[in-house]
Amino acid sequence: MKLPVNLLIGAVLVALVLGAAALSLLWTPHDFTQLNVRNKFAAPDATYWLGTDQLGRDLVSQLTAGARNSMAVALAAVLLGGSIGTALGLLAAAIGGWVEDLVMRIADIGFAFPALLFAIMLAAVFGPSLTNAVLAIAFINIPVFARVARAAANQVWTREYVAAARAAGLNRFAISKDHILPNIAAPVIVQATIEFAVAILAEAALSYLGLGAQPPSPTWGRMLSEAQTLMYQAPQLAVYPGLCIVAAVMGFGLLGDGLRDVTDPRLVRER
Amino acid sequence: MFELDQLSVSFGTATALREATLTIRPGDRLGVVGESGSGKTMLGLSLMGMAPDAAQVTGRLTVDGQEMTGAGEADWQRLRARKVAMIFQEPMSALNPLRRVGDTVADPLRIHMGLSAAEADARALDLFREVGMPDPEARLRQFPHEMSGGQRQRVLIALALACDPALLIADEPTTALDANIRLRITDLLARLADQRGMALLFISHDLAAVARATTEIAVMYGGDIVERGATPAVLKDPAHPYTRGLLGARPDPAPQPRRNGKRPRLPTIPGTVPALGDLAPGCRFSGRCPVELAHCATVRPEMRDLGGRFAACHALEGGA
Amino acid sequence: MGYFLLRRSVGFILTLFAVSVVVFAVMNVLPGDPALTILGLDATEDALAALRDQLGLNDPLLTRYWSWVTNALTGDFGVSHSFRVPVAGLIAERLPMTISLAVSGMIFTVVLALVLGIAAAANHRKAGDWGIMFVSQLGIAVPAFWLAMLLVLVFAVNLRWLPPGGFPGWSDPVAAMRALILPTVALALVQSSVLARVTRSSALEVMRQDYVRTARASGFSRRRVLWRHVLPNALVPIVTIVGMQFAALVTGTIVIENVFYLPGLGRLIFQSIANRDLPTVQALVMLFAAIVVTANFIVDLLYVVIDPRLKARA
Repeated sequence: MKLPVNLLIGAVLVALVLGAAALSLLWTPHDFTQLNVRNKFAAPDATYWLGTDQLGRDLVSQLTAGARNSMAVALAAVLLGGSIGTALGLLAAAIGGWVEDLVMRIADIGFAFPALLFAIMLAAVFGPSLTNAVLAIAFINIPVFARVARAAANQVWTREYVAAARAAGLNRFAISKDHILPNIAAPVIVQATIEFAVAILAEAALSYLGLGAQPPSPTWGRMLSEAQTLMYQAPQLAVYPGLCIVAAVMGFGLLGDGLRDVTDPRLVRER
Repeated sequence: MFELDQLSVSFGTATALREATLTIRPGDRLGVVGESGSGKTMLGLSLMGMAPDAAQVTGRLTVDGQEMTGAGEADWQRLRARKVAMIFQEPMSALNPLRRVGDTVADPLRIHMGLSAAEADARALDLFREVGMPDPEARLRQFPHEMSGGQRQRVLIALALACDPALLIADEPTTALDANIRLRITDLLARLADQRGMALLFISHDLAAVARATTEIAVMYGGDIVERGATPAVLKDPAHPYTRGLLGARPDPAPQPRRNGKRPRLPTIPGTVPALGDLAPGCRFSGRCPVELAHCATVRPEMRDLGGRFAACHALEGGA
Repeated sequence: MGYFLLRRSVGFILTLFAVSVVVFAVMNVLPGDPALTILGLDATEDALAALRDQLGLNDPLLTRYWSWVTNALTGDFGVSHSFRVPVAGLIAERLPMTISLAVSGMIFTVVLALVLGIAAAANHRKAGDWGIMFVSQLGIAVPAFWLAMLLVLVFAVNLRWLPPGGFPGWSDPVAAMRALILPTVALALVQSSVLARVTRSSALEVMRQDYVRTARASGFSRRRVLWRHVLPNALVPIVTIVGMQFAALVTGTIVIENVFYLPGLGRLIFQSIANRDLPTVQALVMLFAAIVVTANFIVDLLYVVIDPRLKARA
């Protein structure tokens, strides 16, 4: 089978970002917290590949550490929101009737809250923190996954092997776990990949606004918010973190689209 | 006057229309018959300049002496509706669902004929009356989804007539309609062509309808025009073996039971219409022909004059 | 039709009600002491008790919720702690700024998306199509605030054509428009990327329909066929996405106001977080969520206006 181009490009970008993030756990060119004020705004050279920032910190090291933080936030948020949402969707499809209606209405309400609004509420009550950012992004993922899981599960429920399982006396929850869940894995994983991209964007915006990671922990969004005040002295600082965000978001977005094209033969989509 | 000289339409190696030579004069009523895939719709679309983008069109096509071979979209736009109009097979889906049918008919009148909105509306009402639309005033305000198939086809006929075209192409205009409406639409088209002195190209696989509506007939197979002549003569005494098969295959008045949900078509012609790319380079009918000669598959037969009628068949050579 | 309106209206009101419960719950029920949040850790116990009393924190939750909702319905959103004026007044002062940005952003988004989407569909499988698809793929991945920073870098810092931020108010319309250009572009470019792709695929779908062939056969120009026949029929999915994008637009205005230091509701909400001004945050979050819900309600009604077939079914 010929793999779609978007899948390949997406996979390469994702591998690069994940590789940098993983590598930063073991090794970065320099200690990204190391201040060296005498060497601030250094131009790129053999030691500092992309130069240094206003406090003399190595940019490459900060960017890879930022990748790690962004990936961690996106992973935690999508896992948390995705598993709650998928569970709700499975439950709705398994029980049906008014329970299904109720779950879906609640999901609709969830769509009224962009992640930012939820993060704002949490920040106002508890003070801004990375945990709040994760919770806020996870929250908006719940209705998304609930819808996807329910739609997919409802289809699987009409299959013959499910009828056979029912005839064998399995109850709805056992069937959901053993038969429905494995068969809705493909659309859920596709959605997770796409939501991963959304989460990276959301985390960047929240960190930029000061609602996410707090100093000194480097994230791309926070690096950009610091760079904004230095736009006249060091415009280059505003460029690299943004490029990283674009690469990561595009990578996961393309990977998700590509996976959908491969796993969902019904969707012969125009592109 | 529409003149086709060796007009071909092909997609890569597949030829949908092969060297069609035909003249349509004012007032002609020409029926084009053949099975699906015979190239009759492609013939109609070529006359509208609406062959698919991927198609290569060769040969010559002139409209009132104006060379239209290789003409651009803008040139064709000037001809469509005003010189040549077309109605399509599927009245259910051929009307913009978001526009009132009266507006759909009035649009070309305003845009091409420079009529004011009120004039165009009045003209649309006249057209609705002319095509026999029941309760025409009320219908103008309706949306397509509020009408029956026969009514929608009348709207499409009114639309096609709006700018007084010299030629009306009707591509299977009755196929999608209920049996009791078919006859009325067929007769309507024949009457309109007659009253307006308009040429009619009536594309159909329904020989009964073609017999009623046309004075001349062209039989198509595999992209070729295989026989041409006056409608009664060809239907009474077909010369080409394919035409003979087609006439023998005419559906009985009492419909046969459907097989596989499909109407049994042409049961007396063995085999099926081959895919366009698989056609023999000679006579397209070779392989299915009951009187096939050795060279039929490789040598293309010439169109022969049989005394005012024409057929292309090697078996007719030497007075067969 | 009447039944449809009634059902949708009831659903709309129920959703608003549910949203208000969520906002109230997050802001009031979650563990945490608003008085402590507002006054800080070094506040005296007396001061805390006094503030709790003033905020009505000692009343039962239901009572507090009820008075919040009923007061809000009469336009009373409480008193801001940091500004010491009614929240309603603060909102009224800053609303025009936010509406200006949101409206100009939405208009620019929709116009750009329709033009690009239709152009891509009209040039299907040609260079124009590929180009537009590539740019929109990129646009989806670009954070609006970063695009905003780049625009400032180029057009304000380097070229000095446009102001880097701030808003002079509408008393000087030319200056106001100039101040809105970069924020609008930053907001719209990203938003229109998604919408342009939806427009393209929806238009391609419509272009295969028989009635488009009929329009062509009627001798209409390509442009007329595209804009008068294809676009209206492609609108239903487009409007759906516009409705869904309202949430993103609201988020976008909040972020963009902060990038450009525009004195609107988005700035106010961040000042209020910094000042621990809970009543103001609560009112603003509710307002933004209500805007999103209302936008979706309007989209539901628009379907019926766009497509007469739905009116028959509704």
